[in-house]
Amino acid sequence: MRVFGLNGRIIRALLGSQYATMLEYRAEIALWALSGLLPFIMLSLWSGSAARADLGLDGAALDRYFLSAFLVRQFSVVWVVYAFEEDALLGRLSPYLLQPLHPLWRYVAAHLGEQLTRLPFAVAIAAAFFVIQPQAFWIPSIGDVLLAWAATWMAFAIAFLLQSLIAALCFWSEKASALERLLFIPFLFLSGLLAPLTAFPPATRHAVQWTPFPYLIDFPARLLAGESVNLAAGFGAQLAWVLLLLPVVLWLWRAGVRRYSAMGA
Amino acid sequence: MVITAEGLSKTYRVADKQPGFVGTLQHFLRRRTRDVSAVQDVSFAIAPGEMVGFLGANGAGKTTTLKMLCGLIHPSAGRVSVAGHQPQRRHPDFLRRITLVMGQKQQLLWDLPPLDSLRVNAAVYGIPDGVASRRIRELADLLELGAELTRPVRKLSLGQRMKAELLAALLHEPQVLFLDEPTLGLDVNAQSRVRQFLADYNRRTGATVLLTSHYMADITALCPRVLLIHQGQLFHDGPLNRLVSRLAPERLVRLELEQPVPAEAFAGLGQLDSLETCAVNLRVAPDQLTTVVAQLLDRFDVRDLEISDPPVDQLIGALFHQGRL
Amino acid sequence: MRRYWRSLRRFWGTAFATQLEYQANVVIELVAVALSLSGSLLLLSLFFGPGRALGGWTWHQALVVQGFYTVFDGMATTWLRPNLGSIVTHVREGTLDFVLLKPIDSQFWLSLRTLAPAGLPEMVLGMGLAAWGAHQSGVVLTAAMAITVVAMLMVAALILYSLWFLIAATSIWFVKTWNATEVLRALLASGRYPLEAYPAPLRVLFTLVLPVAFLTTVPAEVVLGKASTPLLATGVGLAAVFFTAARSFWIFALRHYTSASS
Repeated sequence: MRVFGLNGRIIRALLGSQYATMLEYRAEIALWALSGLLPFIMLSLWSGSAARADLGLDGAALDRYFLSAFLVRQFSVVWVVYAFEEDALLGRLSPYLLQPLHPLWRYVAAHLGEQLTRLPFAVAIAAAFFVIQPQAFWIPSIGDVLLAWAATWMAFAIAFLLQSLIAALCFWSEKASALERLLFIPFLFLSGLLAPLTAFPPATRHAVQWTPFPYLIDFPARLLAGESVNLAAGFGAQLAWVLLLLPVVLWLWRAGVRRYSAMGA
Repeated sequence: MVITAEGLSKTYRVADKQPGFVGTLQHFLRRRTRDVSAVQDVSFAIAPGEMVGFLGANGAGKTTTLKMLCGLIHPSAGRVSVAGHQPQRRHPDFLRRITLVMGQKQQLLWDLPPLDSLRVNAAVYGIPDGVASRRIRELADLLELGAELTRPVRKLSLGQRMKAELLAALLHEPQVLFLDEPTLGLDVNAQSRVRQFLADYNRRTGATVLLTSHYMADITALCPRVLLIHQGQLFHDGPLNRLVSRLAPERLVRLELEQPVPAEAFAGLGQLDSLETCAVNLRVAPDQLTTVVAQLLDRFDVRDLEISDPPVDQLIGALFHQGRL
Repeated sequence: MRRYWRSLRRFWGTAFATQLEYQANVVIELVAVALSLSGSLLLLSLFFGPGRALGGWTWHQALVVQGFYTVFDGMATTWLRPNLGSIVTHVREGTLDFVLLKPIDSQFWLSLRTLAPAGLPEMVLGMGLAAWGAHQSGVVLTAAMAITVVAMLMVAALILYSLWFLIAATSIWFVKTWNATEVLRALLASGRYPLEAYPAPLRVLFTLVLPVAFLTTVPAEVVLGKASTPLLATGVGLAAVFFTAARSFWIFALRHYTSASS
């Protein structure tokens, strides 16, 4: 039986082959993991600054927040646009479109394979962090971990759908991937990766809540760090964004594929 | 001699690694390497103005030798001299005298018309603008390029692009041309046009050409002399037909008879390749050719008889394929 | 020498022509620059409030640092990323051979082959921001200071270039690790803030190992009249060391490439 065009065998085959591919690129993925060190640099700034008092994260809580933000980011990085652009450029897209499987599933599997490859590097960086900052060490409760895990998955889903939207635009303009930058900049500043959302002035914070960005880092990171958060509001907003984006992405893809085949490419 | 190679050798040290994670770990802990010899003791000399075909299977050492000749790879042993220079020093004066064209790689800027890339090359090679324009006109005439020079490279066909690549590679009037698969992927018409151009160019400028190709037609049409490299060693240096007789000493004799004859009737008349009712194919050693032909005409009712060399393409193809020599 | 100048003019002429092939990108770039700068200023403002300073730097002084960071970010977009980022592409696709067979220095070709005008507005904005911050901090520009600032910015550019080139040159060995420069870029982001805002161990790291301090903090100190002569001398020395290292490493890498490539 197939659900969304998938069955157990397809899932196993996709994940297995993508994981094997990603293992070949482990050196590159290790470097990607390293290039996500920005939260730690921001942590060192916030720790020593006078503005720290406003954050509502005392003592080790700040360390834990930024470590969690780092981990959440590691497992919600999305690069569909780039993979899609390369596939389109190298002519790999047409055979994918002929297969009885939505091409996006292939990219989902590639991302999961990459996350699995990234796992040991992320753990190593976290361990190094605890060696340098032993006072920050904590073992989150199993409930927190499961909730944060679920929230990170939802964050990944939102980020994936947002980028797939831009990837679908590539059917119309080959340089659509440049739009990804316009998405990344607000993400960088408003997601909580560089500053906890509590640092923002109330008006800004209020406005930001209506964007998808805080649910990509701030919400899952707070869950993992053991901060008190409004579970219903957080998961509700994540779900709402997924439900909003999913039909749009699917519709845009279908229209894009129709256009692509009409052009006879 | 414009090119001389003496005892040219190249050995690579390659890492021995088992696949998978355990292999990676082992490799990390105890690095095992072995030496692979890509080219062994190759010697030849090429006179100015010669067009020489360079043959060899993939991995035979053809590209390595070519790259040693243009200075991209340092030889492990032996001596090379090209246009009076040691290539590996890549002296600017040497670089101005040679050019390398690689069929599967391109130097032209993808988004811009070839003319822009040509202007860059003119500056880099220090060619005055007036001289460059004149050369571009001449070469474009020879290559039958016109409006293509002002159209973005990405909008050109493969054949047009290759011709533009050739123009870019020849703008500085090199004395020695190294061409690596210059007709790769082109259709038959475009291939023959590139071939025609190379022959013309060689005749006009007296440039030396060393050419590799998978298409035997390129070699047969252009190169009176052929170097064949096999498993890193120079197997043949001389005319193509001598290579053919070395690879397949027999000649092919094709017979058409008036009426069918049993296979046994051809005993002692060379080796029977095929027999289909009235059509017979025999392979015969050259020294027995006249006697065999005389006997054939004597014994059978021959409607038609034809003697030929085995097709070059097939011979070399089989050689590359099986790696046998 | 004249040949190099002429080549350079042709290089950049073709680079601008390439950009004109894609006009829509210009608009996107401009929007991206505006967004990025507002984001950076918002983030910086979070550290300040009434009577608050960051590592002893006032808001306006910190703006000078932020301004210089923006200049270098624009410079990376315009110059470093398009040029040095293509080294790995050359290695992977084998077109480095073409570069090596040109009668012109290969490092010159690879470092200056193209320019992406996209980063120019960012550089102008950054300069403007630094000037405004300096003006608000009560700085009066003198000729001597202007010369020193320009000199220190050039020293900084040289350090940044050498560091970037060193890392990009490793792609001769590790074709798969083209992300190495991304790590550098992530760490360079630390230059958005004054060096004094960081804890002591990081300060040492950012001064000597990964000299981010010389990109932004030191030129800002020159503007604000805080810089000490030994520090400037260290900067010049480091630039010389890094550039020499980049140059020798390239020569070494080429020797490896030409003796091992197939």
